[in-house]
Amino acid sequence: MLTDFGYILLFIVTGAIFVGVALFVAKLVRPDRPNEIKLMTYECGEIPFGDARVQFNNRFYIIGLMFLIFEVEILLLFPWAVVFKEIGWFAFAAMFVFVFLIFIGFIYELGKGQLKWDIPKPRIPRYVEGVGVVDDDYREEKVNEPALQAD
Amino acid sequence: MGMLDKKYHDSNIIIVGLESALNWARKNSLWYEQFGLACCAIEMMATAASRYDFDRFGIIPRSSPRQADVMIVAGTVTMKMASRILRLYEQMSEPRYVISMGSCSNCGGPYWEHGYHVLKGVDKVVPVDVYVPGCPPRPEALLEGFLKLQEKITGETILEKKESEQE
Amino acid sequence: MAAILIHAAIPLTIILVYALVAIWGERKIAGFIQDRLGPMRVGGWHGWAQSIADLLKLIQKEDIIPTNASRFLFKFAPFMMFAASYAAFAVIPFSSAYIGSMINIGVFYLLAVTSILTLSVIMAGWASNNKWSLLGGMRSAAQMVSYEVPTIATVLTVVLVAGSLNLMTVTEMQAGNDTLGFLPNWLIFQNPFLIVAFIIFFISILAESHRVPFDLPESESELVGGYQTEYSGMRWAMFMLAEYADMLLLSLLGATLFFGGWNSPFGDFMGGPAWGFFWFMLKGLLLVFVMMWIRWTLPRYRVDQLMHICWNILIPLSFINLVLTALWEVIF
Repeated sequence: MLTDFGYILLFIVTGAIFVGVALFVAKLVRPDRPNEIKLMTYECGEIPFGDARVQFNNRFYIIGLMFLIFEVEILLLFPWAVVFKEIGWFAFAAMFVFVFLIFIGFIYELGKGQLKWDIPKPRIPRYVEGVGVVDDDYREEKVNEPALQAD
Repeated sequence: MGMLDKKYHDSNIIIVGLESALNWARKNSLWYEQFGLACCAIEMMATAASRYDFDRFGIIPRSSPRQADVMIVAGTVTMKMASRILRLYEQMSEPRYVISMGSCSNCGGPYWEHGYHVLKGVDKVVPVDVYVPGCPPRPEALLEGFLKLQEKITGETILEKKESEQE
Repeated sequence: MAAILIHAAIPLTIILVYALVAIWGERKIAGFIQDRLGPMRVGGWHGWAQSIADLLKLIQKEDIIPTNASRFLFKFAPFMMFAASYAAFAVIPFSSAYIGSMINIGVFYLLAVTSILTLSVIMAGWASNNKWSLLGGMRSAAQMVSYEVPTIATVLTVVLVAGSLNLMTVTEMQAGNDTLGFLPNWLIFQNPFLIVAFIIFFISILAESHRVPFDLPESESELVGGYQTEYSGMRWAMFMLAEYADMLLLSLLGATLFFGGWNSPFGDFMGGPAWGFFWFMLKGLLLVFVMMWIRWTLPRYRVDQLMHICWNILIPLSFINLVLTALWEVIF
């Protein structure tokens, strides 16, 4: 018989085999008539330009870092949570200090606005008597236009 | 590397059974590609909405041509758009079908004579299965077009044409 | 040997049947919510054969691998996605008689394995070498990674009250019917803070399984198909299956952690392994139904709103909730 983790391996293998079998059955039935246009990258009917692998916004990296910090923290909390009821007040105090310290950093991060996803300001033109429609933000935004970055 | 599609010349009981099952599946799950060119697209949207309800026939929109089965050319096909339509059609995965909706895409419609910028019928660039007349066609007409397409799919075969039948 | 294989194939059967029913059901629910009928023609009664037709059609769709794509990663992503979401089912106790694997770190393992989904999504997005796919993949990674923190924090809250990581043990301790004299001993009734935890958990699993209002990775009106844009035919179907399996998995996890798993709500009445399976699936599918209901009711969030909800509201709230739950457990 398998061990408990052996069963887990069995499940992973079963999942992969199922996908393999399904794709194989499809391979038997489906047509296969590739041509140059069909194998082109889909870009809404246009001819694709450039490589899709562009530089990405820094925000994703910061989110990744924050995630890592919280995951490690939670990882450390799991064994604590299992034996919590047996230890009682001491466990509570120890964890409270731990979570509190992490939270000071978190609140600092929030206060610095690192986790804010800045969105483009909506440009609302206004009507000025005698002048016509004025777009206040237009010139200003042109000057501070950020470097082209994918979202 | 299909092992069935266009590999056999002669029919037998297994192929006939399989063929009817596959045709049944194809005709009942026509996912159309989500794009509209002109005013006919409004009627197409109305057909998908509550009153006429495409979903009754299992027809739902897919936004990527890779997962779509049928392209509804809904509206005026300009010369500029024609190359895009060809590319979108080619990028759909087979089996794929085209429904030409409305007079403009059928034959140029009101731009037939003096429309210097309009393609005189989308069938000049992609093979069309069903033409739906109207300017624009009512949702019922589009649904009728889909029913005609289903009839057409029922008669399809996975066999290769015999040498004698080929031209 | 045969017994072992059957043992491993039971959840697979459940997932496949569930996916066929759920896809049809989702379209019917969508229809009824939008004052339509949904599928009506295919197979006779209320279009019951609709998902079978869809499946058969997807089998015969051509498989396209774009020239620019990274072939190996492109092919590998659906395998990884489905294998990961299926492997997580190993620790779900379907009834008192069946659980895939009795490892003693069940919940922990489940959360770890579902993180692989993020990886396969980003792998699919990157391998396609398509702008829509990459944007969808990156968004999806940011979203899943962010919402994993409140999910795990709320699961931690339940573990704290239950005192075990094995889902079977967690379920067994919820048997009986004597909270406040009449309520079942489900964990959600054990501690008032667990109700808050459940709400946070539910919002987070909506985001984890890419459901509306958090379906930004595949939002059709802006990103075509997200990371699935370049996938066609059966490969795409595998992604779809994995997403539906993920939805079921997280719902079943919620049912186990908060609603007593396979325990009958009526104490010993209608107990036993077979009824246990019935109750468990009923609870899980009820949560799935609520997810579908929400999908066809609410509009979608913007990316910045999504991140705001996670980092500024759910994460602080879930940790405060954790501390308060601990306090409650120490005092009472």
